[in-house]
This record gives sequence, C-alpha cells and structure tokens, in this order.
Amino acid sequence: MAANFSWANLLWANPEFVRHRRAELRPVRAITVAVVVLFLCALLGLACWSYQQNELATAQRGAEEYATQAWQNRLADVQEHFAQKTWLLFYRWLIGIQGIALTFWTLFSCAQSVSGERDRKTWDFQRTTRLAPVEILTGKLLGEPVLVYFAVLCAAPITFIAGLAGGISFATVTSVFVFLAATSVFLGLGGMWLSTLLESRTRGVGLIGALALYGLTLGAYGMRDGGLPGLAAMSPLLGFIDILGASPGSALYRFPAVLFGHTIPWLLMCVLLCGSFSGWLALMLVRNLKRDYPEIRPLSRWQAVGCAAFLNFLIYALLRPAGMHDTFARQVRQGWFSDASSVAIFAVAMNGLILFLMGLATLTPQERLKVWRRKRTTGESKMFADDGLPWPWLVISGVVAYALMVWGLLAWDHALPLQMHTLQTAALCLLVVLVFVTRDVLFLQWCMLTRLRQPVVKGFMFLCLYYAAAAVIAGLAGVSSTDASYTTLALLTPVRAFDSTRELTFSGNVIAGLVLQSGVIGVILVVISNRLQRPMQSGAAA
Amino acid sequence: MIELVHLRKEYDNVIAVDDLSLTVPQGEIFGLIGPNGAGKTTSIRMASGLLAPTLGRALIAGVDVAAEPERAQQYVGYLSDFFALYEDLKVWEYLDYFAHAYKMAESEIPGRITEVIAQVNLEVKRDAMIRGLSRGMKQRLGIARAIIHRPQVMLLDEPASGLDPKARLELRHLLLSLRDQGATILISSHILTELEGFCTSIGIMERGRLVRSGSIEEVTAAASSTLQVRLSWAGDSLATIEEKLKSDTRVSDVNLTAGEGTFRFSGAEEDLAPVLAGLVTADVRVTSFGEVKQTVEELYMKLSTHEVM
Repeated sequence: MAANFSWANLLWANPEFVRHRRAELRPVRAITVAVVVLFLCALLGLACWSYQQNELATAQRGAEEYATQAWQNRLADVQEHFAQKTWLLFYRWLIGIQGIALTFWTLFSCAQSVSGERDRKTWDFQRTTRLAPVEILTGKLLGEPVLVYFAVLCAAPITFIAGLAGGISFATVTSVFVFLAATSVFLGLGGMWLSTLLESRTRGVGLIGALALYGLTLGAYGMRDGGLPGLAAMSPLLGFIDILGASPGSALYRFPAVLFGHTIPWLLMCVLLCGSFSGWLALMLVRNLKRDYPEIRPLSRWQAVGCAAFLNFLIYALLRPAGMHDTFARQVRQGWFSDASSVAIFAVAMNGLILFLMGLATLTPQERLKVWRRKRTTGESKMFADDGLPWPWLVISGVVAYALMVWGLLAWDHALPLQMHTLQTAALCLLVVLVFVTRDVLFLQWCMLTRLRQPVVKGFMFLCLYYAAAAVIAGLAGVSSTDASYTTLALLTPVRAFDSTRELTFSGNVIAGLVLQSGVIGVILVVISNRLQRPMQSGAAA
Repeated sequence: MIELVHLRKEYDNVIAVDDLSLTVPQGEIFGLIGPNGAGKTTSIRMASGLLAPTLGRALIAGVDVAAEPERAQQYVGYLSDFFALYEDLKVWEYLDYFAHAYKMAESEIPGRITEVIAQVNLEVKRDAMIRGLSRGMKQRLGIARAIIHRPQVMLLDEPASGLDPKARLELRHLLLSLRDQGATILISSHILTELEGFCTSIGIMERGRLVRSGSIEEVTAAASSTLQVRLSWAGDSLATIEEKLKSDTRVSDVNLTAGEGTFRFSGAEEDLAPVLAGLVTADVRVTSFGEVKQTVEELYMKLSTHEVM
C-alpha cells in the first residue's frame, strides 16, 4: 500500500477526478463537445466580424452623407483598427461566455455532488475508502464540472489568439483564465457546502440554491458604494473587470475598495476576500465530508468563535468612514459612517446576524447532547464541552465581538472620534442582541431534539413567523398609542435597543424585554433538559 | 481482528444497539442474525466507521475506527444490502477507481482487477458499462469492490440479497476461500439457511441486544435443555414403543405415527443408549435412532417468540 502524499495524487491522479474524467469525457462525448465549442466559436467570430462590418458601413455612410471631420475620423479609426477591434470584441464575448458557463456550471454541479451521491446510495462506499476528506473535496471540485473545464480548454486557444490579436497582453489573458479558475473553485466550494447540507438531491432545490448563491455573489457588486465597499469584492465580477482593465472613468474606479482606510485594487480585494471565505468553506467541508448526515456540524466551538472574530474583524478592516479621501478617485466621499456611534450600531446589528449564524453552525446533534448531559450529571463533562449546549460559546463570541469593537473603534479614532458612552451603550445593546440570539439558537436546539423533519429549517421558519407576528402585534398596538407599539417591540424584539446607542439611556421597556427574554431562555433550558431526560426504549432501529 | 466494545447507538429515544460487545478472531466467519430492526445493519455500519457510536468503540485489527478512520479502512471491505454503483463507468474502471481510493500500489492494480473480476465471474463483462449489467452481476461487482484491496476484515450486510441460488452458492465459496486466505468476516442476514454450515460462529440480535453468541453448536446447545430424538422402525410396534418410552421419566413430548416418531429426552446424549437397548430387547425392529440437531432457524424462531429468553 502506497500512501505517500503528492500533488499529482491530490490533483491529476486523484481517483475521484479520474472517475469523473472517465465517465464524462468518453471519446465520443469529448469529440462532440469539442466540435460544438469550435462551431459556436466560429459563429461568435462571424457575428463579431459582422458587427464590425456594420460599424464600418455606418461610418462610411456617415462620412459620405455628412462629410464632417468627426465622421471622417471615425471612419479612419474603424478602417485602421478593423481587425484589432473585431478580435477584441470576439475575445470579450468569448471570455464572458466562458466565465458565465464555467462559474454557473461549477456551482450547479457541485451543489448536487454530495447530495447526489447520497441519493444514489454510492456515498457510503466512498466514505469507507481511504480517501481523506481533502482528497474527496479536491476530486469533486475538479471532477464535477469536468465537462465545462474541457469546453473552456477547447475554446482557450481561440481565446488566446483573439485576445493577443485584439491587443491584450499574454499575461493579462493568462491572468483572466487563472482568475476564472479561482472563481470557479470559490463558487464550487460554496456549491459543495450547500450540497452537504441537503440530505438528498432535489434538482430543483440544488438549482434554486445555486442560483441564489450565484445571485448573491454577483449581487455583492452593488455593495461597492456602501459603508463596507470591500464586501463588493465577494463578487468576482469586480476582479474580472479589474484584470481586463476598466476605463479610468468607469464606476469601478469611482468606488474603490478600502482596506484599513487604504484604497487597494479590486482584484487584490477579490483575492483576499474570496480566498479567506474559500478557506472557511474548505474547513467546514473537510471537517464534515466523511461524517454521517445527522452528525454534520459545520464548525467546532473554537472554530465558530474564530469565525465570529474574523467576520467582526472584516467590519473594521473594510470600513470606509464618511469624508474619507479616496486616492484613486481623488475626491472626498460621503458614506454611511459619519461618527463612531453609527459604526457601533452597525457592528452590533451585524453581530446579531453573525452570532445567530455561529449558533446555527454549532448546534449539537441530539445524540451527542444526550451523552454530554449524562456525563455532565456525573461530572465527567464540562459546560464548555464541544458537545454541550451552544449558549456558553455564544457568550464567548459576544465578548470577542465586543473586544474587537473596542479595538476597531479605537483604531478608527483618528477618523471617527470615539466617545466613552458609545462603548458603554454598545455593550448594553450587544447584550440585548446576545440575549435574543441565544433565545433563538436555544429554540433551534430544542427543535433538534423533537421529531420534526428538517428541524433547523422548520425552527427557522417558526422564528420568522414569530418576528412577523411580533411586528403585526406592535402594529396593532400602535393603533392605540405609539408607546404601546414601542413597548411591544421592546418586549418581543431587540430592535428598540438600537434607539439608545447615541445616549447612555435605555428605556425601561428594553430592560423589561431583556428580563422577559432571559426568563424565556430559562424556560427553554428546562424544556431541553426534560427532553434529554426522557427514558429510552430499546427496540426497532430507526 | 474485529472487536466491538460496549457499542451503543441511540436514535431519538430509541436504543437501536445496546451494549454490544463482540470479538471475532482472525479467520472466523461470524454470522449476525436477527429480524428486521434488530440492529444488525446499525452494528455493521458502526464497525465500518460509517456511523459514530453513541457510546463504545469499534476496533478493526486493533485500530479504533472512530479515532483513525482512514487507517482502519485499509483493513475493511464493506458491502451494504442496498447499494448502487457508478452506472456511467465500465466494470474495470469501477474497480480501478476503488483500488486507487484504497491506495493500493499502482503496479499491483491491473493484476488485482483481473484477479477479482475472475473471482466473481465477470470476465466477459470486464469492458461493459455498469448500467448494462443485471442485478445479480451488479451485486457480484459490489462484492468485487469490497475485496479489491485484499481486506483482512469483511463487513457484509445482507450480501446475498438479489443473488440467484447459483450466485449465492458462488458467494458462499468465495467467502470461504477468503476465510481460508485469513480474512475475518462479519456477515448479517435474516435468511438463516444462508449462514448455517458456513459461519464458524453466530450471534443472535433481538431488539438491539446480542441475546446469544458463540459457535452454532454452543448456541443451540445452550438454548435447549432437552434432546430431541427421532426414531423409525419396521413392523407394527407402535403400542410397545409408546409404552416403553412413557415408562421412562426423562422422556416427554412423545409423538409417534406409523413407522416413525419423535420424543424429547432430558438426559445426556450417552443416556440414550439404554433407551435404544430397551426398545430392541422389546422386539422393536428399530431402523434408525438419533438426536435431531436443532437448526439455527429453529433456534432463531424460538428466540423470536421468547421461548428461551
């Protein structure tokens, strides 16, 4: 048995990749794909040539009819650069189509990879082999979209020729391909992660999930004018445009990426952001790929704390305060964050989401929680054990988030002067958010102990219903008086806590809400404890 | 070679497997029998590392399956009752994939594929697409996959389901030859005749617990305190035989018809000789007389109806 690690084994000779190559690239199919790709390239080339001919004809007609210098210049330009412009147009279309095909196909096929194998009942055999999770991950990332990789490979020589003839440097054309490959790996990781969360393959769900993920990734493009413009780099489109070289006056340069207050190229920001998120996705996949479905837990407790810290760190690293001078745009920009308290409000609100996601990622499977409880009663297990309840770790994540907030606000003190009461009110506000998030996460943990099918999904829907109902009740209470509406909101939701971040005053309703929800947490803990103590029955297996 | 130590698996508030401890030495074929839902599949899945036990440990060749899964997998060949194959591969490609996935030496793989294909009689289908194989052939290919890396331990969950009688016989021969080569086999089935005369030892599972285990002789002997004796005779001696047997206090459940019958005897096997001698001296022309060995099937039926629990 040879078990030595090598890059060849991990990539080209990876058994999973070889399996996909064999299955999907049989000679007849490969030749057909190559012929179709070449045919499409030829059609596209003709279309581009036709477009340029049309441009030329228009310029000639304009020059003849109007005989102005502008038309003469345009005609001269079109005639002089006819070939180059045709090739450039051809290149742009080719690379655009390849980019869309490669990224979408990768995401879609990876989004069905693991769930598809579970569905076909071939997954268990793969899990019992000696392939390490990282080998399965690499094999699937390379193998699932192998057909589209092959199609891109077929079109690559033509793309290179078109790019070079269109006046683009060899290095740029190569960089575009490398960037496309990196983007497809990033999206493939996202798709595979989605796939591990689905118990069985439903093409519809896979497609919707893939489309949503694709839409979110591309939609991030619109965030470049926000308070955290760097987040827009989650959209690889920005890096793509940056490599191809956008014109100096383009929107890309009007909204530059900011890292620690310094403007950096979008390409670098894309690499940093997509690279780090790919790292987290890869970690979650490697951790869970060979686990049985009910045993899947995205992150360990410490990893979840690390992930919460990383996301908090991003807030302060990508922050662009209002009034900051952009060296790229050579102008002072307005923005969301005009003072430290607005940053604090935003950070607390974001932590509501971050802590909830971390809670979701660390929910303990029913069986593990039961064992933990038994050991806890005999003193063998600690409250902070990896298989225990998630709430102590939410508290740790909250403390880390607050520590980073202090650090972040102090670091930005030169641009956004910090006042001490901002930190105090932010602490109280974060406490309110933490209590509500803890309640919601513990509710989901309780759902996992019931016989609900897809308990987390259903529990999440119940929470959505709860917040919708709270909004409706507050709306109805608002008919009698605004105060009643505010009181309802303060008791049932954390939103009223955000009213007081500019002053160190919290209304009694917010405090009452905090006490009420703490009581609810206590009730949920008792219910969970009772559920874990139910007597076991020996008998038929599930 | 296979050691299951206090294995327990819980689902919701049901204990699927409860305190299962089992040791299967090298070269043995251990049959796990029990009705549907007894916990056989769960036990085998825990032993193969597919399922994490709630409590306890599974050791394969001394390696803890949960702690070092990839290391343990090199020793294990696993086959489940319901499985599928990669339909878009050829037979040899499928085996080649798993040979590489089990990290066999590159030089060894082509020869081993040929060898395994011959073992499961799929030579003529070597280059055929899997989607074109019959169900029995697919089952045989599944077995070939499980043995491709020469595992020292085979974990087989109802491996004969879907096989025709001839293929079952071939499977039996194949497993016996693997045992002769030193492999240790843990096999589950609820078709008991499949296991009888083939397993060196058996374990009977009922409601998640191992209620009996040991060699077939030990298990059947432990389950029964009386011997069942069958006799046949020539001539018209029914009344004499009945009288003689009923006069012996150790005899019960006498059930005689013309020319043959059975009875239960509570003494030791050697105490049967005087009973036979008594019949012969009473001029009964006995043509056969002997203990009826309890089959695994009979024992299992008794256990299922809780006769011996």
